[in-house]
Amino acid sequence: MITQEDYLQTLKEKAESAADKPAALGPDVDLSQFYLCSPQERIENPEEISPQLREVALYAGVDLNNDKTPGVYLQVDRSAVYQKMQEAFKGKMEIMSVSEALKKYPELWQYWWQLVPVDTDKYTAFAELCPAEGYFIRVFANQKIEFPLQTCLLLSEDSGIQNVHNLIILEEGAEANLITGCASAREDQAGVHIGVSEIYLADRARMNFTMIHNWGERFHVRPRTVVKMGANSFFNNTYVLLKPLLSLQTFPKAILEGAGANATFRSIILANEDSYIDVGSSLVLRGAGSRGDSISRVCASDRAQVFARGKLVSYHDQAQAHLECKGILFSREASIVSVPELEVYGAPQSRLSHEAAVGPIEQEAINYLRSRGLKKDEALSLITRGFLNVDLPGIPPALKKYIDQIIQVTSKDLM
Amino acid sequence: MNNFMVVGVMLCLDKLKVAVEDKVILKEINLTIAEGEIHVLLGPNGAGKTTLLMAIMGMPGVQVIGGGIYFQGRDITGLELEERAQLGIGMAFQKMPQIPGVTLRTLGELIIEKHGQDGSLAETAERINCTYLLDRNIGFGFSGGEAKRAELFQLLLQQPLFSMVDEPESGVDLDNIALVGSVLNDLFERKQVKSKKRAGLIITHTGHILDYLNADMGHVLMGGKIVCRGNPRDLLSDIQRSGYEHCLRCES
Ligand SMILES: Nc1ncnc2c1ncn2[C@@H]1O[C@H](COP(=O)(O)OP(=O)(O)OP(=O)(O)O)[C@@H](O)[C@H]1O
Ligand SMILES: [Mg+2]
Repeated sequence: MITQEDYLQTLKEKAESAADKPAALGPDVDLSQFYLCSPQERIENPEEISPQLREVALYAGVDLNNDKTPGVYLQVDRSAVYQKMQEAFKGKMEIMSVSEALKKYPELWQYWWQLVPVDTDKYTAFAELCPAEGYFIRVFANQKIEFPLQTCLLLSEDSGIQNVHNLIILEEGAEANLITGCASAREDQAGVHIGVSEIYLADRARMNFTMIHNWGERFHVRPRTVVKMGANSFFNNTYVLLKPLLSLQTFPKAILEGAGANATFRSIILANEDSYIDVGSSLVLRGAGSRGDSISRVCASDRAQVFARGKLVSYHDQAQAHLECKGILFSREASIVSVPELEVYGAPQSRLSHEAAVGPIEQEAINYLRSRGLKKDEALSLITRGFLNVDLPGIPPALKKYIDQIIQVTSKDLM
Repeated sequence: MNNFMVVGVMLCLDKLKVAVEDKVILKEINLTIAEGEIHVLLGPNGAGKTTLLMAIMGMPGVQVIGGGIYFQGRDITGLELEERAQLGIGMAFQKMPQIPGVTLRTLGELIIEKHGQDGSLAETAERINCTYLLDRNIGFGFSGGEAKRAELFQLLLQQPLFSMVDEPESGVDLDNIALVGSVLNDLFERKQVKSKKRAGLIITHTGHILDYLNADMGHVLMGGKIVCRGNPRDLLSDIQRSGYEHCLRCES
């Protein structure tokens, strides 16, 4: 048997060996050009958060003033600045910084770097070698937390590096909705965000996870997410990126181990200016009757380059999944590359499919709306909003409204 | 004197010549519609009826290559599509385009916002039997009749001074033709004797809509020209009896 000490030692060694390993995809980032931020003080009252940061959080979908939120976690730079759980939810769930959680529950090391290999690339290695918090969420068996939990990761220092390692555990039959907003304090800011997320959904657990990113124009962002799913569990992830940045590369994966597991990934990408964006999702179908969807909606304007990936891998005859990528190019200097991969291993009855379409906004639709009195830019913005605003079944209305608002505000700038 | 400047004229087409993709479709159209009047446009398939409506609406791609369009005495030939809509010209299309993620409700709300009508969305939808269609995306899964009603729903919200309706009865069942007819009466304020101002131009093949709506004048469009005018019912019964060839003779 491996002891915790051995395990942690091995992690360190593996991380060190991968410290210079470039990622398989996306441009390489020289991490030495960025700084470790100085620690921030813990606060007890959300009123102490500056109005500016609060607005930044709100635009990333996290309303720090909302007292209905069952639990909230706010990280600024490398520090867990504020965390709060409503009294009524004690015994139902927990939300806290991951360093506290690992101290409080030493056995959590059995979940640590179990889904995302620590030596995946230099970014995961960095997260291990220079740990800098992250959040821990656990929902206890059969507890259903309806109103969305909120976590917010902000980077305030210019040229700072923020690497978080998050751990989410939903026990059997637990249900939760989570909104995560990640943002930089200023639009013209430089920085790096590395986000490792390991998500464990036990049998019958259900999770809606909406992540909104609003980074500065000179940001590199490298999320590393893996979800492990038990029997009849449900995972619905929506990733929303609407602001320009230097580069984003992410390829989250759901491993559908249990029978009847069901996962959906959606990427809603409004790529503008010089953004280099490599997004997608992958589903590994191992359970009988497991199924899923990998969906992306991409609008690329200015000089943005977008790679939209999707990978479906089936190991089970009764597995079924669909890949869908739709893109609109707004500019002659922009590009969209759709990369679908379907892989079936020894499961001739599995059904995997993909559908990809890149094309312009139909002139006919613009004219139709103009004939109702909408101006050309209003028509374009409405069509864009509609195009990006994929149907979000199973998502609570409060959450859907957040995203709609943000898309509405931001797509105005696109014209 | 040019009649397009006369007070009380809603729409006037003066020697209008129209091309689509450099192909001349309409040759020399003269047409005057007074305030409060409803005219119908007849003509065989491919005659250019829809093209004429598109030209009046100002749809890009339909080029006016001669003559002019006057709305309430104002030359609108060079105006953009949305400017015409804002002046009070509206159109129910023959077919609805697909707009993913934009529901009939969303569009309806925007139309109310744009045209400042006080009519409620829900009431209007109920009136034209569209309530169950409100949360559908524009153009997705609408049957022929449903699309027609959804088009009229938008016109009702828009309340244009001058409405053009492309084949209101095609694909609509008998019950719904009665509904469409009564809604068009509302739209043209036919029941309100006092403010008889709104006007319209309706394309019809069958004339069924005339059972529900009194039209003042009919025009037969053939080969890019208006070849015959008169009482719409008389025109229709002539066409039913002797076909469109008859109208050609009548031109001379
Ligand atoms: N984009 C286009 N390119 C070329 N020709 C066109 C185009 N659009 C319309 N036409 C032609 O213009 C003519 C008139 O078409 P239009 O749709 O106005 O006819 P219509 O009278 O409305 O016919 P219908 O009764 O079948 O609806 C037709 O010959 C048609 O083929
Ligand atoms: Mg037609």
